[in-house]
Amino acid sequence: MALLEVKDLKTTFRTEDGVVAAVNGLSFAVDPGSTLGIVGESGSGKSVTSLSIMRLIAQNGTIEHGQILFKGEDLLKKSEAEMRKIRGRDIAMIFQDPMTSLNPVLTIGEQIAEATRLHLGLSKKDALAKAVDMLRLVKIPAAEKRLRDYPHQFSGGMRQRVMIAMALSCDPAVLIADEPTTALDVTIQAQIIELMNEMQQRLGSAIVLITHDLGVVAETCENVLVMYGGNMVEYGTATEIFESPKMPYTMGLLESLPRLDQAGSRLVPIEGQPPNLLHMPQGCAFGPRCRYKMPICMEPVPLYDFGDGHVARCFLYDERAEGQKTIPAPSVPVIANSAVAKTPQELAK
Amino acid sequence: MTASLAGPSGVPTASSDDLVVVRDLRKYFPITAGILQRHVADVKAVDGIDFEIRRGETLGLVGESGSGKTTAGRVILRLAEPTSGSITFDGRELTGLSRGELRPLRKEMQIIFQDPYASLNPRMTVGSIIREPLEIHGIAKGKEADHRVQELLRLVGLQPQHANRYPHEFSGGQRQRVGVARALAVDPKFIVADEPVSALDVSIQAQVINLLQDLQQQLGLTYLFIAHDLSVVRHISNRVAVMYVGKIVEIADRDRLYDNPLHPYTQALLSAIPIPDPDVERRRKRIILSGDIPSPVNPPSGCRFHTRCPVAFDRCKVEVPAFNEYEPGHRAACHWVEEHGGRAPDLVNGPAVLS
Repeated sequence: MALLEVKDLKTTFRTEDGVVAAVNGLSFAVDPGSTLGIVGESGSGKSVTSLSIMRLIAQNGTIEHGQILFKGEDLLKKSEAEMRKIRGRDIAMIFQDPMTSLNPVLTIGEQIAEATRLHLGLSKKDALAKAVDMLRLVKIPAAEKRLRDYPHQFSGGMRQRVMIAMALSCDPAVLIADEPTTALDVTIQAQIIELMNEMQQRLGSAIVLITHDLGVVAETCENVLVMYGGNMVEYGTATEIFESPKMPYTMGLLESLPRLDQAGSRLVPIEGQPPNLLHMPQGCAFGPRCRYKMPICMEPVPLYDFGDGHVARCFLYDERAEGQKTIPAPSVPVIANSAVAKTPQELAK
Repeated sequence: MTASLAGPSGVPTASSDDLVVVRDLRKYFPITAGILQRHVADVKAVDGIDFEIRRGETLGLVGESGSGKTTAGRVILRLAEPTSGSITFDGRELTGLSRGELRPLRKEMQIIFQDPYASLNPRMTVGSIIREPLEIHGIAKGKEADHRVQELLRLVGLQPQHANRYPHEFSGGQRQRVGVARALAVDPKFIVADEPVSALDVSIQAQVINLLQDLQQQLGLTYLFIAHDLSVVRHISNRVAVMYVGKIVEIADRDRLYDNPLHPYTQALLSAIPIPDPDVERRRKRIILSGDIPSPVNPPSGCRFHTRCPVAFDRCKVEVPAFNEYEPGHRAACHWVEEHGGRAPDLVNGPAVLS
């Protein structure tokens, strides 16, 4: 059984201009000890997904329907008091911005000790001793001394280490990291990624890594989920996604990236703009920007199964699209029978 | 290979191919304390840099936060006053010019800012934003200016009717196109692009990068492209300079720098960039530096990188390394490289043990 399973999640927000569905019918599963990368651009719904799992949606947001199963129990049915016991204990989160997600008026030690005192019932003395261990684990020099320092006395990379120490202090089963290295310089990013990998090997936590950086995904994730316009458009192993992407959006993302190991050739951008969530296009959300767009793309797109868990939401692989293609599609097998398409529920195993 | 083909100072002579020549440029920001505003220290944002930018080329300037790359860009345009040093633009010395003397030169040097959300006046229409420099410099007014604005909007891939809209009606990528149109309005020769795509989504980045490259070809522009993303810099630049805490540590032709980086910092920086290909990533070995980037207020003595350098030795702590030329156009400031006849240390397989 999967450790964490999200089924048909829909999260909406009330805004001045109307109700927007930031996440619309998303399903996926995470196994113990594995790393899932969730990739998408601004507005794709990746951060709202993580906040929905933690039940930390802002006041104007509502989880309309769906299930978030953690070890088989639906988190959406938990009371706020029950959620508080789960947050930080079983499922921990690392936020993007280490500058603003620490409390500036508490020492680092107090902040790390707070979690273990609440969740593990440690005494103040034991909790502080544990905090020193955690700071050593994330390689903060002179841990005992730094325990009494305030967040402003740490650099950005050091603060992110403190965040990781805090998140891992109760040995969570699932760690959700929302753009954990985006605010950091590359040499510091490399340190933090290495640290997260080491931590995972040591503690066996499952990691959900939310990022826009496909390089970081290639480096750390076994599985990749690509989001666009509030839903999953492709899912598969990292090798499958990078070497044989099926959905034109995924292909476009990979083509538009300049690569450090390749110079010169002209980039192939994805034309147009990401969709406005208030006015979502009919059918495929990527349709208006897609070079393969066909008449059938105005219908709701099911997921197509390419074997080994690789799925993509695109009509290019449907027999009904034969004869509608205006430019030759990439060389991939056309699925003979559209009945193989799975519903999101089946997908989440 | 012998060290220093270019004489003892390591600084080659400038030629007429160079549009911009920077020599020993420094910018210190004073730190004051107390009610008397006593001068207690300096932030040495740029601390003695030398380079030149050739006509029609793109020089990439890379570095991490606090390296001084943005300050360098601003000082070269004299948007910030240099503390000392010299900047020559098209054969004319810029330092020492008064504001009035500088004004006609402003037409020839423009800047594109990082944040397309903060660098456009929200109360002005896009048309008036692009039109303003035309009027200030007396290039066009009235109907002629309207016409020029429409032409510029088309040039950067927007519609002429967009002139009547306000910045908030545009997406990030479109706003950055407006920023480009404003910079191009006065028909400049030289543009400093300060992280022009960092705030944009990946799929939009490529649109703006292609636009900048097309414009360079069409209009014969010279770019100083400042960025922290080394993949983008490799893509767009002809030559690349690497900055670390106020100093340039290495400069070379693009491929030479990426294929044969000499300075240990350049090596570590390149190895830290993840490549979007899991196969390549599995085979790569990464150089993980220990420690943080030092503060430019109290930069380390000698070579500024010695506190994090895996091959640092005693000399690095006391003596500032010379910026020697090891191959034509390939300069680096490193004692290890100098003492090993221009060879780069192998940081992945040794000789040093990495912490």
